[in-house]
Amino acid sequence: MNEALKAMAKVAVQVRMALAFLLAMVGLGLAACDNAPAPSGNGKAAPDSAAFSILATSDLRDAEALAGMIQRATGVKTRFVFGGTMESADKVINGKADADAAWFANAKYVLSDPAGQARVKMQEKIMLSPLVIGVSRSDAQRLGWTGDAKVTWKAVAEAAQSGRLRYAMSNPASSNQGFMALMGVAAAFADKPEALTLADVRKDRVREFLAGYKLVGDNSTYLSERFIEKQGAEINAFINYESWLLSLNQSGKLREPLALIYPHEGVATADYPLLLLNDAKRADYVKIVDYLKGAEAQRWLAEKTLRRPLNPEIARQTASLFPSGRLLVELPFTADRAVADALLDAYMNQFRTPIASVFVLDVSGSMKEAGRRQGLVESLRFLAGGDDSITGRLARLASRERVIMLPFSTTVLPTQRFDIPADDQAKVQTFAQIRRYADGLRMEGRTRLYDAALAALKLLADEKTESPGYLYSVVLFTDGQSNEGLDLAGFKQAYRQLPTLARSIPVFAILYGEGNVGELEEVAALTRGKTFDARKVRLPTVFREIRAYQ
Amino acid sequence: MAKKAGVIATALFAVALAGTIGYSVIERSQSQRPVQQEIQRELQTQTLKGFVSVDVEPFLKDARVQKILADHHLRIEIARIGSREMAAKVQAAPAGPHFFLAAGVLAARMITDAATRINLPTVLYSPFYSPLVIASWEPVAQILVNNGAAAKAGDRVYDLDLARITDFMLERKRWKDLPGHESYDVSRSILIATTDPRTSNSGALYLALTSHALNGYEVVTDRETARRLAGRIAELFKRQGFQENYVNTVFEDYLSIGMGKVPLVFLYEYQIVAHAMAKRPIPPDAVLLYPKPTLFSKEVFVALTEPAKALGELLSTHPELQKIAVEYGFRGADSALFKEAVGRAGFSVKERVVDIVDPPSGEIMAEMIDVVAAAMR
Repeated sequence: MNEALKAMAKVAVQVRMALAFLLAMVGLGLAACDNAPAPSGNGKAAPDSAAFSILATSDLRDAEALAGMIQRATGVKTRFVFGGTMESADKVINGKADADAAWFANAKYVLSDPAGQARVKMQEKIMLSPLVIGVSRSDAQRLGWTGDAKVTWKAVAEAAQSGRLRYAMSNPASSNQGFMALMGVAAAFADKPEALTLADVRKDRVREFLAGYKLVGDNSTYLSERFIEKQGAEINAFINYESWLLSLNQSGKLREPLALIYPHEGVATADYPLLLLNDAKRADYVKIVDYLKGAEAQRWLAEKTLRRPLNPEIARQTASLFPSGRLLVELPFTADRAVADALLDAYMNQFRTPIASVFVLDVSGSMKEAGRRQGLVESLRFLAGGDDSITGRLARLASRERVIMLPFSTTVLPTQRFDIPADDQAKVQTFAQIRRYADGLRMEGRTRLYDAALAALKLLADEKTESPGYLYSVVLFTDGQSNEGLDLAGFKQAYRQLPTLARSIPVFAILYGEGNVGELEEVAALTRGKTFDARKVRLPTVFREIRAYQ
Repeated sequence: MAKKAGVIATALFAVALAGTIGYSVIERSQSQRPVQQEIQRELQTQTLKGFVSVDVEPFLKDARVQKILADHHLRIEIARIGSREMAAKVQAAPAGPHFFLAAGVLAARMITDAATRINLPTVLYSPFYSPLVIASWEPVAQILVNNGAAAKAGDRVYDLDLARITDFMLERKRWKDLPGHESYDVSRSILIATTDPRTSNSGALYLALTSHALNGYEVVTDRETARRLAGRIAELFKRQGFQENYVNTVFEDYLSIGMGKVPLVFLYEYQIVAHAMAKRPIPPDAVLLYPKPTLFSKEVFVALTEPAKALGELLSTHPELQKIAVEYGFRGADSALFKEAVGRAGFSVKERVVDIVDPPSGEIMAEMIDVVAAAMR
């Protein structure tokens, strides 16, 4: 194992060196282009060639209007395609991006992988947004964090540990903000931040910090909705890009504005590189970059999206849009992919608040149809370690996690509980048991959906009373209409009678069949959960998505 | 008689005709003279093919430069390649190039060695140069002054004790470990940002300069010392992390993200001066630290043919060409002119950079780069 790793690392370095050289040459090319006159404004359409496609992460949706602006200014027809962070990074690394360029909040993860480096032909940073902590103003005052206060990461970790800081953040295992925040915190507490190894990571501090991580999700829109609902006693902080938090403050939807905290040791900053993937489109890429770094686009990005311009002249002109008077120190980011991966692994299996969930599984007769059973079995096998890709590893059940299977058909069937052990050997055995359980599922009978859902919530409420140190959720899987027991109205009524604890547990409902979409959306809304659409996407992919919200 | 008259008439007609036509001929020849001259010049003009480094390409492509060359019956066709790839392109004319304009004496030496191997004579010119400097910030420079690693040498200009700051770095000191760090209260390690020494010239020059400082300000001449010092210096590269580090990025981060990310960056003086000369903004608290001693990166012109020698001569001596080179950040023969021009652009440089060392031999450099590359693996 060790030898193999070393050999791999060696190849990686060689590739990286070759690439670094390539990038150097590429960088030179671009430097020269900077001296070329700016593209003129006449919008000649690109002859017959398809649009220049940019795979962007969903946090860049607010910049989509740039496509039209680029076309007007440069004549290059541009099209944005949006995707999740890790999923998109995965695609770029594996050469499956199917786009001419990629635009991410940062390229650190992609470029710390030799395969990823080889995909990137050029890169140019476009704008900046530091990752900061937004704290409800009254709580920030109570913590003594307002005005010129010097807030250290140590103070942040202590506040999180003591329950005075309860924050929302996107999942480090699946999204950029969370990943950057985790890496940043690890660097902030390390004695040798520039040469971070896993041994240098102050696990105690990271764990303290993560004790305050109370609201998990995969995208900023979902997190914002939940944050707006829960801001106050339950959640009082939001870790996200400065641009997002400033926009949220401007939206008028918050109970009280957020004070933006820039911890003293530094923050991680997104620098939004535009990565050229298709070398044949280099000329178009250069035009697009020239435009994006020019005055018009930079000013637009600053004013409309509240990201900091990289163009120093425009930065000076738009300085009043951003909090000032504070030196923005950049936390060092380790170049070592192995450390990043190990940290993520430790996050999932050691540091994070463990997950406890009930999988409510429809095993009624209709599940025999058209590969449905197969989809479900595959999905459960996928969670039990069946896939070794990045996203597969992130979706895998983690150490300390509690999973309860609650199947139903005509009746609510007996539950089966799995506690995922920390020990690797034991984990393999538990995974094998889960796979056997999945293989043994038999489909017959009718659909007693709502009684099963209610039972799951009650079960988890009891669990939560006993062990509050978990993040609880219900995953609801069905392919049809409920036709036994409670109907939706009955469920709603029973739900209102549930104790507060049970009503704090979100239901993540999977849309699989055709007939039940509206009802499941109501269940998700009622429980402050979310629906996931598996009608067009493969079921294991949907299960993977859900994992980012747990 | 009649015949005579006819001849006279014809002659008169011819004169009359010549009168009108003659006028227009003169007219046309006046308007056509430049064209003719151009054709004339075109016939005399020699087209010289050459390989040039990225540093000088914008200068050579400047329309004013091309005009001056054309006035001297020269036209150049250039291709930009990395300076260390140039030696492989040495070949006798007509298939080979007329000249190279390489960044650094090391690259030039490789070219002349390659030429010698095929009995091709070369003549070298050094038309302009740029010292290696460290761009920093007033508050950061102040901490270095407080700790005896720098001394003010003029407006926005400091002398840097490279041995002392290298000691800080090798001791893994952080900024906040230095007394009097209040103006830059940061827990990042003290490190000078560079390019990757395995692939880039300026990164390699940083290695050369640091080895000199650690060697008691003596040029490293033996392999054993080279290996030992490179082994120590390697961590100064390794700890930077290089995954996104190609030539332009560090300097760009310095200018646009600033002191919080890039307190110190090693670069060619021409990079930041060219930026200032092009009237692009430089933050008001940006300063330059001049390592004492430092290295010059000479732009070395290697002539392989007779007409190329004329070009080398011209680049080195033509006052207007030297003046234009200053706009691209290069120093030529006149230091005062350089400082004054930079001052007019709102930036400041050290007028005379006199304490200069040579880099170690190519062999020793290769040895040190190998050691660093192995450590970074």
